[in-house]
Amino acid sequence: MAEALALCLAVLFSLTGMGWLALSLEVHWRQILGRKAALTTAKANRLRLAGWASLLLSAAFCFIADRPSMASLVWVMLLAGAATSIALLLAWRAHWLRVLVLPAWRRRTEYRRSSRKHGD
Amino acid sequence: MKDRFLNRMAWLHTWFGLVLGFVLMAAFFFGALSVFDREIDRWAIPETRFDPQPMPSFDAVLQPVYAQLRPHPDDMVATQQRVIGPLPHPDTLPMSSLWAYTTHRDPVLRIGAEFDVPNKLKDDADEHAHVHGWATIDPRSGRFLADDKLKIGSDWFYPMHYGLNWSWMNLGYWLVGLAGFTMLAALVTGVIMHRKIFREFFTFRPWKRTQRSALDLHNLTGVVALPFHFFFAFTGLVIFAGSLYFPVGHTLLKPLHKQHEVLEAQRTGLPHEPAGIAAPLASVDAMVLEAKRRWAARDMPGEVGLLSIEHLGDANGYVSLYRAGSDQVALVGQAIHFKASTGEVLREEPPPGAVGGINEFLTGLHLQHFEHWPLRWLYVLGGLLGCVCIATGFIFFVEKRKRKHAESGSQGSRIVDALAVTTVTGMMIAAVGMLVINRLLPADLAGKVDWEKLAFWGCWMLALAHALWRSAPVARARMNPAWREQCWGIAVLAVSAVGLNWLTTGDHLIKTMSGEPYWAVAGVDLSLLATAGIAAWSARKLARREQTPVAPMATEVVHG
Repeated sequence: MAEALALCLAVLFSLTGMGWLALSLEVHWRQILGRKAALTTAKANRLRLAGWASLLLSAAFCFIADRPSMASLVWVMLLAGAATSIALLLAWRAHWLRVLVLPAWRRRTEYRRSSRKHGD
Repeated sequence: MKDRFLNRMAWLHTWFGLVLGFVLMAAFFFGALSVFDREIDRWAIPETRFDPQPMPSFDAVLQPVYAQLRPHPDDMVATQQRVIGPLPHPDTLPMSSLWAYTTHRDPVLRIGAEFDVPNKLKDDADEHAHVHGWATIDPRSGRFLADDKLKIGSDWFYPMHYGLNWSWMNLGYWLVGLAGFTMLAALVTGVIMHRKIFREFFTFRPWKRTQRSALDLHNLTGVVALPFHFFFAFTGLVIFAGSLYFPVGHTLLKPLHKQHEVLEAQRTGLPHEPAGIAAPLASVDAMVLEAKRRWAARDMPGEVGLLSIEHLGDANGYVSLYRAGSDQVALVGQAIHFKASTGEVLREEPPPGAVGGINEFLTGLHLQHFEHWPLRWLYVLGGLLGCVCIATGFIFFVEKRKRKHAESGSQGSRIVDALAVTTVTGMMIAAVGMLVINRLLPADLAGKVDWEKLAFWGCWMLALAHALWRSAPVARARMNPAWREQCWGIAVLAVSAVGLNWLTTGDHLIKTMSGEPYWAVAGVDLSLLATAGIAAWSARKLARREQTPVAPMATEVVHG
């Protein structure tokens, strides 16, 4: 039971990790938050960091669930599955990925957008 | 300079990928099916639908079974051609060694034995004066199961994966091996050509033109599963490197090999030759208990996966018990060898060293006998991603050229496209069609195996004929309607297979999922239904794409 839970968490963190890595790319950030949403370098770096941290966490849960030799295989395959899922979501259900945009990031985005409007 | 290099890489990727892609596609697709080969066996042979069993008691169940086991008629014929003079009656040949092998997914048990032959061999270099016998039994009762049922998963789809079921001159094996090397080359050249690996890591734009969206999907499926593609092509080659592609150990280096065997016997203390003195067999069950106790003491409790006895009935006889590799990547291991006549431990194999461990890990990760259902499904996903990668490679090849070919009157892209239809949807029609025929033909029909194999190749040939017949639009830069029609074919066949399974065995999904859960059969049924759903969805999408008018020549994409 504990193994199943650890594996589920590994799946979850591999998905959020890949999701954040996708969001750290400007094209996908705009796909989700609108064409004018700006992705600053600092924000992209933060997203990238969150993404990698989440993937590492997913690896940790894989190693909790299984013996090391098995866990390494599960993790590598999970990454492939998670990346594919995120790519397909971006293709067909991109707005679902809005759940990954933390409120803090979103506020700043909107602020930037409105400030730009004022500037116009 | 750099452009010339890139062009060469693109040429290599395109043409090697195209020619061997057809073989690779079969290796990937049937490889993905082989992940669940035992479950497909259960679906195809309803009388074996019971729970997986551990290795049964040797003393009570297996010993009487081996007493009834005889040399197989097929191997009698094959061996007769290698020896001088007629072989004695199979009932009189003495059994010299035996084995039994099971995994955590096997309800039935595969057993086999070698029988000594008194005849002299025609070829001096041939030292194998044995004839083999084999059978599949019900380990609960020791009953022999009918030999004429085709295990569609493990005896048809699985050999299809590594040898195309084409045994003539081992050509199938060599083709798959060549395709494996091509895969490695295609991966390397593909990564070199693909200049935006990270920027386009998640990019798939189904709303774009077919050429662009196919390339997106080709790149996506190739890159995200790159470790899977690489390691499976590589380990597949490793597994065969020693045995088939370079069998030098058994040809050029034969004297050395023999010498190595003798040295190995000296090192391990396990007798290489029989003593020539008759001896009885002690209780093997007691040896199994001792082996399990020793595995538990090493903090790796487990079941017996492989049991073998050498020099049967001789004072030098020994019993080898290998632990089933259910919780580790390596297949079987931690062998413990016992003296057959007394049951004393002759040798307990130490854990493998670094090199041995890596080799076991590499072969084990490909052959996957471990007990880990999520990982099995992830492997299926990896295999299917490989299929998508190859299929979109074909589509891109055709889309890139068909307008030019339509203008010049060339039939090139039309033929490639028809072959792509045959390899992508046609292969699925063959596989699912075989399952349908398996359920349609009565279980006791004589020669059912041959009819099933014929149905498999027949369906595939029909798919080829259909794809060629409908291919004319490609020569006018349009889409071959065979793609859509065969998708409907897959959907209809897959739903019929599930329905026929219900009608002929009474095992419908509600029963196999909740009434009397039997996930092997439920899993195959659910996968068939999912296949039908995806095929129908694809057919509708294709219909929409067929109606879009031919766009003018575009120069957006520069890619091999």
